[in-house]
Amino acid sequence: MKHCLIVDDSRVVRKVAGRIVANMQFEVSEAVDGADALNKCRETMPDVILLDWNMPVMNGLDFLRALRREDGGQSPKVVFCSTETDKEHIGEALRSGADEFVMKPFDSDILQSKFAEVGLV
Amino acid sequence: MSLGLETFMQESTFQELAELALQSTGQLIPPSKEYLIEARLSAILRREGFASCDDLAACLKARPNPVLSAEVAAALQTRQTRFFRDGDMLERIVGDILPRKLKLSKAGRVKIWCAGACTGEEAYSLAMLLHEQSRTLRGARIEIMATDICRQSLDSARAGTFGHYAIQNGLSVHRLLNYFEELETGHWQADEELRRAITFRHQNLMDADSNLGQFDVILCRHVLSGMAKPVRGQVSERLANALLPEGLLILGHGETLTGVSNAFEPSRRHRGAWDAIPEARRVAA
Repeated sequence: MKHCLIVDDSRVVRKVAGRIVANMQFEVSEAVDGADALNKCRETMPDVILLDWNMPVMNGLDFLRALRREDGGQSPKVVFCSTETDKEHIGEALRSGADEFVMKPFDSDILQSKFAEVGLV
Repeated sequence: MSLGLETFMQESTFQELAELALQSTGQLIPPSKEYLIEARLSAILRREGFASCDDLAACLKARPNPVLSAEVAAALQTRQTRFFRDGDMLERIVGDILPRKLKLSKAGRVKIWCAGACTGEEAYSLAMLLHEQSRTLRGARIEIMATDICRQSLDSARAGTFGHYAIQNGLSVHRLLNYFEELETGHWQADEELRRAITFRHQNLMDADSNLGQFDVILCRHVLSGMAKPVRGQVSERLANALLPEGLLILGHGETLTGVSNAFEPSRRHRGAWDAIPEARRVAA
């Protein structure tokens, strides 16, 4: 079973996304911000990370840049998930190492589609 | 006290609306899909000031209104689509079928018809793939005609605008950035080059004399399967007559014409496609 780490400071988003991703037959774990996510990735590198942009302690962009410098940090697919949906923000996420981008709010069709784009379903 | 829209319709209302859909568009709406009628007509009910489907049906019965009836029938159509639906088949059309057709074409021209194009996602997906293959298809004239029965869907398709959910369903972020611009409304619009690549026309597949011309490839995906069986046969025959010699019909994944139409047979040259049977060879179904 593939492993998805959901990184978002909103408990509601983690819960909603977690249910959708679990229904897609992924093992799900959660992190509340970038620093928490980096620690969890150092323990076990997930197959895919669903990543929020604006979070306290370490935001999504800083986490992504740090992740890609870690040993094995190139391997997880990263799907950014944000309310920042202008082209500049999306482009910055991709240049920083994201594989896909979800504009909030999302539903199961969108997550399924984006995970398929990165070869995970 | 009224609480707004009523939630159930009378059986006679369901039968009248289902009959309207069948006669106008060939669409079969079984009783188990009654709930879809409420959902699909909600915008018309609100706009026209009807409290319920019962009121709408009663009004159409008392004062026949062909324009409103046609709009109701079109709104009752199944409208499920998304970008790159059955994407493998679209890639085969652009990467294999069209290059072969172009080799056989003296004029270097290929015509494609997306029948039942809804809000345009399939036609735009094809246009994007063609743009990405423009090196190998250099010099070719590839025309995409997209038709639908619903004028509202066509308006939206012609404008190339897609809402928050539609633009993210099936479309990669890379293609979003390459081909679309965000509007102030929050919708996304296909760029002008992509919009110019497609001609949109209103058309009811039930009309015998639509006069769209003939095509090398017709995509009619997830449209026939929603129609009553005898209608499927009639529409298939019209599609066969709209194909140029050696033309191909592409249906949706899992759709078949076997036992439905005598106008097509599975293609021997292209897996998943259908060849038109010449009229002289067609046997009664």
